[in-house]
Amino acid sequence: MTTDIKVKAPKRKKSASLDKRKARGGWLFVLPFVIGFILIYLPIVIDSIRYSFYTIKVLAGGGFELIPAGWNNYNEALFVNPDFVETLIQGLGDMVFDIPMILIFSLFMAVLLNQKMAGRAVFRAIFFIPVIISTGIVGTIEAQNTAGDYMESAEGIDDGSGTSTASEIVSAMDVEAMFSGMAVGQGLVEYVTTAINNIYDIVNRSGVQMLIFLAGLQSISPAIYESVQIDGATSWETFWKITFPMISPMILVNAVYTIIDSFTAESNVVMSFISGIYQQANGNVVSSAMSWMYFLIVIAIIAIVAAVFSAFVFYQRRD
Amino acid sequence: MNAQNVNNAPKVRKESKNKIRVDFERTPLKERLKAKFLSMFFVKKVLWYIIRLVLLIGISYIVLFPFFTWIAGSFMAPEDFVDVTVRLIPKNFSLDIYKAIWTEQHYMQAFGNTLLLSASTAILQTFICTFVAYGLAKFKFKGNKFVFMAVIFSLVVPHQTLQLSLFMSFRYFDILGIFSFLNGGGITIPFTDITFLEGVVDIIPETWEKFTADGITLTNTYWPLLIMSVCGLAFKNGLYIFMLRQFFRGVPDELEESAYIDGSGIMRTFFTIILPLSVPMMITVFLFAFSWQWTDEFYTGLFFTTTKTVLMPKIVGIPTSLTTDYAGQNLYYSAIRNTCGIMIIAPLVVMYLFCQKYLVQGIERSGLTAD
Repeated sequence: MTTDIKVKAPKRKKSASLDKRKARGGWLFVLPFVIGFILIYLPIVIDSIRYSFYTIKVLAGGGFELIPAGWNNYNEALFVNPDFVETLIQGLGDMVFDIPMILIFSLFMAVLLNQKMAGRAVFRAIFFIPVIISTGIVGTIEAQNTAGDYMESAEGIDDGSGTSTASEIVSAMDVEAMFSGMAVGQGLVEYVTTAINNIYDIVNRSGVQMLIFLAGLQSISPAIYESVQIDGATSWETFWKITFPMISPMILVNAVYTIIDSFTAESNVVMSFISGIYQQANGNVVSSAMSWMYFLIVIAIIAIVAAVFSAFVFYQRRD
Repeated sequence: MNAQNVNNAPKVRKESKNKIRVDFERTPLKERLKAKFLSMFFVKKVLWYIIRLVLLIGISYIVLFPFFTWIAGSFMAPEDFVDVTVRLIPKNFSLDIYKAIWTEQHYMQAFGNTLLLSASTAILQTFICTFVAYGLAKFKFKGNKFVFMAVIFSLVVPHQTLQLSLFMSFRYFDILGIFSFLNGGGITIPFTDITFLEGVVDIIPETWEKFTADGITLTNTYWPLLIMSVCGLAFKNGLYIFMLRQFFRGVPDELEESAYIDGSGIMRTFFTIILPLSVPMMITVFLFAFSWQWTDEFYTGLFFTTTKTVLMPKIVGIPTSLTTDYAGQNLYYSAIRNTCGIMIIAPLVVMYLFCQKYLVQGIERSGLTAD
């Protein structure tokens, strides 16, 4: 009889410890990140906030000295520097302009690339080239590609400036002529023409979003499409009644990601302005103050966008 | 039974003893073709097919055209840039630009250094992000939500905001003041200037130049990027963790449960069952991490302040043997920069051709959901 008890006791102990063991296992897996976050990342973030209230002097002996400056850096950024506020407003305006464009484009392309057709793999491979390659230094080179602009343009001898208007794909005039019959405003026409002329930029920046949308489209059950097809829905109706609601959580994710991506991008006007300030006086703390202000504004925008979008997001109940 | 039914009924003929032949009355070919090709459905399908093809080819052209201009320009001699008749096809074919970049901009050295840096950081990031994502997706422990919030936080704060303190913290690298203490710096209370026990412990020899009183100098080495990769804090690692976490959430729990029941431990289950499953996803992450590190200029510019370590972004420039004052200088220099770009992305393109299959596969199988 004693053996019976002996067998039973460890068994209960073991089953109780599985949860504990799993919890410990979970911590083990996330440990590298947690250690790094607490020991390296948090000090960096706190230092960055702290530096924005100081001025830094690098000493000759290989150390540095912090001189408290109060709100001086913020003061200088907002009121002394002539360009910061203007650049900030311009940057935020660009963001409002770009984000719907990138979202619409990437959703559209994802729907296209999700359809069965010949050569789908080739098109997919081509569409994801920019997200892999056109980043960092390659993006910088592309931005200065005057030779490419010249080769693309149909006419115009090199005038040295490299900015020939002939390389524009569509001019506002054409679109205006097209829309003249319809009652759309000048603003919309301009929006469309700028979008078409910046199509390369938009394709470049919507790679990850396309991937996320593609994954979302793949997760919609084909049975739903089949049933609406039997019920006689057109593809237009199918898109708005099925695909769009089902993909709406992804739209929220992508909207947030696009905001983050576009305000951390080096091509962003505010970011390049700030890094310009940083490089002017190697390690200028005013740049820290500026970027923290910018960051807070963007966080506020993300919060608003997330709040507005999540009101419209449809979550499928999973059983 | 009406007449039509009788008409359409299949004719049965006896061909041999055990074989019969059934002839069905069929609609004539002409009628069938008409029904198939003259319907609205078919016309719409063809129209949509054409529109789709035009769109896809057009956008592919937009994506690829700049690279064509890069390649075209890279083979041109300086004379071609003042010749108005030359656009995309070089008249005076020359390889001078490639040769100059190869020798004068130390291409091979940059290639080796960048390969070492990118491969090591990308492998580290791939594995660390997989670990963290698996921990977040499959284990319910106290603080799980909090750790995930921290991941998202590290993704949202742009590293440009942290530029200065990133540089400072690796210029004078120190964890909890340990190195500074060992070097006789004493103990400093955080965020104050109060220091005590200064010079009590000083075990680090003076000859180690990297160790200053404020910490170790890690700039101009690979360490800053390696340390950040080990902690999953490098560029866009939050995104990788998010993607992988969603992938692991789609993996059914029964897989692991059956392994646990068979007596496999947590680690063994992860390495023998989960890891092989997630290879396409990991290749996707590796591809991102590798190529974004390969072309990165922000971190390399921040941490490599001297010209001693040649990395890929540093080869972009005008080789001295190609400097010119002639007309068309602007275009020529632009073509040289583009050629640098070609030489930077060439290895990436080769890798992409091999990995792109996994890129889409990995994402497709991830079953990304936003909850």
